[in-house]
Amino acid sequence: MNGQDLPGTERRDDVGPVLRKGVGIPASGWFDPRGRALGGFAFAVNRVTGLGLVVYLYLHLAVLSMLLRGESAWSGFLRLATNWLFLSLDVLLIFGILYHGLNGIRVALVGSGVVPDRQKALWWALGVIGTITLAFSALHIYGSR
Amino acid sequence: MATVRIREAVRRRSPRAPRSAGEWRTMTLTGLGLLVLVTVHMIANHFVVRSIGGLRDYQQVLAYIANPAIFTIESLFLLFVTVHAMLGLRGVLLDLDPGPRLRRWIDRGLAVLGLATLAYGYFLIGTLASRA
Repeated sequence: MNGQDLPGTERRDDVGPVLRKGVGIPASGWFDPRGRALGGFAFAVNRVTGLGLVVYLYLHLAVLSMLLRGESAWSGFLRLATNWLFLSLDVLLIFGILYHGLNGIRVALVGSGVVPDRQKALWWALGVIGTITLAFSALHIYGSR
Repeated sequence: MATVRIREAVRRRSPRAPRSAGEWRTMTLTGLGLLVLVTVHMIANHFVVRSIGGLRDYQQVLAYIANPAIFTIESLFLLFVTVHAMLGLRGVLLDLDPGPRLRRWIDRGLAVLGLATLAYGYFLIGTLASRA
């Protein structure tokens, strides 16, 4: 059998949607969501949440520096941090932590070969756990007002 | 022929630098550690104290961080989160396919940033614990 006899060879040069599975990052970059399979989408969101959490780490250290300036500085910050907008940012933070953490579990399980062929099922299962945890956390945080 | 085409496509589309096994293992182990530590941190700082958002006032923060168990947990949390963040940033930056020289600068820069983060974080934790 030569190459011309293989099924679908006449369509190989057609332009169409391509699900990029297993051929690395598309030339347009890892943050390009177009035409991605679930794994590529999960990877891109994992990176975005990771970068967001790094930004938050330094923001958090800056905010905690107010504690060095004493009680009045911290009390002033608390008045600001307990408004609706700041509490919403807390919920966004919890989303980032949950997504990054739970997707990290999936990547570790798949990458270490424990469950190499169940990455989609894991994504959905951990997604359900994450959604329930996020809903509980949001209710708790908004309910504290 | 097809194999050559696929290899060429991978080479063209994947500027991601290969990760060493040690780096992947460190990332995974710090990540697993962080799952525990971040859970403790978030519960302790948002779900224990009865106040808006579960946030502590100044005296409560000092009493919290002066507890030896909490001090140890928060110190480990800072170490794990910094190592994990620097390795993650390195992965993102190396995906931009820098040359060998720039890559060395990225490694040095992230090492300095990580050490500075740890130094400032431990200074902050230590100062607050000593005020309690």
